[in-house]
Amino acid sequence: MRSMGGLSFAPANDRPSLAPTAVIAITTTPPKIRLTINKSAELPIPSPGALMAFASRITLLAAAFAFNLTAPAQQAAQQSAQQQQTELAALPNAPVPIASQPPAQNPTGPSLSDLGLTPADTEGSAKQQALFDRRTHMLKIHQRLGLITVIPVAAACISAIGAPPEHRDYTNTDSRDIHVALGATAVAMYAWTASYAIRAPRVSNEHARGGVKWHKYLIYLHAPGMILTPILGAMAFDQVQSGQKVHGIASAHGAVAAITAASYGAAIVAVSWPIHF
Amino acid sequence: MTKLRVTLLLFFASPLLAQSPDQTWLLDQSTLTYHMSHPLHEVDGVSHAARGKGICHAGQCDFLIAAPVKSFDSGDSNRDLHMIQTTRGAQYPIVQVRLRIPQSAVNLPTLDCDLEVQFAGQTAHYTHVQFHQTIDGAAHHITGIVPTTLTDFHIDPPTFLTVPIKNDIPIRVDTTWRPS
Repeated sequence: MRSMGGLSFAPANDRPSLAPTAVIAITTTPPKIRLTINKSAELPIPSPGALMAFASRITLLAAAFAFNLTAPAQQAAQQSAQQQQTELAALPNAPVPIASQPPAQNPTGPSLSDLGLTPADTEGSAKQQALFDRRTHMLKIHQRLGLITVIPVAAACISAIGAPPEHRDYTNTDSRDIHVALGATAVAMYAWTASYAIRAPRVSNEHARGGVKWHKYLIYLHAPGMILTPILGAMAFDQVQSGQKVHGIASAHGAVAAITAASYGAAIVAVSWPIHF
Repeated sequence: MTKLRVTLLLFFASPLLAQSPDQTWLLDQSTLTYHMSHPLHEVDGVSHAARGKGICHAGQCDFLIAAPVKSFDSGDSNRDLHMIQTTRGAQYPIVQVRLRIPQSAVNLPTLDCDLEVQFAGQTAHYTHVQFHQTIDGAAHHITGIVPTTLTDFHIDPPTFLTVPIKNDIPIRVDTTWRPS
């Protein structure tokens, strides 16, 4: 390393006490400046005197450079710069800036840490995002199944019209069987729908706000209703099959089913509210 | 020895001294509101949690405004959580806006800004976004709308009853800045 923009620098082996293998090259090709530092893996600890001597050389170099004393050697500097540009061309490209480091960002502009944001605030979590994705996926299925479940629930309600025996004719069981089948389908679909909401991962401990709050409150109506309705229905069915008039707690089957269906519909409306027309 | 130390100190400290800001601005109050449209829903999500700072140097002012994605409140916790999922807010928890304006324009009633918005892991640029400014003592009240869209940030539009929301998600900005 002899020609360095007109500035000579002692060979590395002339400075044994500082860093035998350290080479510093300063080249100039105005207006660009390139500083390259190559160092070996092991550097001996320099003595204070050597350090000061080295520092004084750096200072002199810098001062000389600052006052543009390199003009007479610009040609040599350009040759050296061209050589280095050729070497740099063979190097791999620098990493492309990621999204969190915009190209327009400059060193004088404020950073997130200047705003008082800690790395814990600014660093995201792919694992947490995966949890959110899983939650959304399961709730989408919950929503879809819930809407589909409206069909058997409505059909069971409609078929209930023909379920009671007509004029004390207990022999015709077709309409009751259809009602039982539709009711059982509604309960099974309801359980399947609910399972996705129950198993969806929790991503927040905050209390529910807005329509989803009412959606959750209504669970306390339609969930017990979905358990009670088939039990009461089975009791009523047995009483009718045995030729009895529906009596006792079984007579509440219709009312419980109506409340259940209504609260189920309200739960769907609540989570969709407010609707803008 | 002393001369050498002073020389070293001056030489290495001078660039640092030269980079000291001429003026610094701090975001005092803010309201950021996104608007989402669907044939059956009109939703506004509001955040008051934005932080901001501006540094003026050599005739240019660089501003940074940042807000946590999860700080936007639409009045429905389920919708907000779904918004965080859709916008990849758990992975990219901060929305950042950077802009640079000439220091001479800081007091103008209308600020014409080129914005760089980082959101959902993407960076979008918006040119010539107009902000209106009123100055009351030291407080600079700045309002405007950033015309963001879902496609700018590669966000799949959420659907309700199989109908997707509109692509336009304008963000209304209402901020108060003070020099520090």
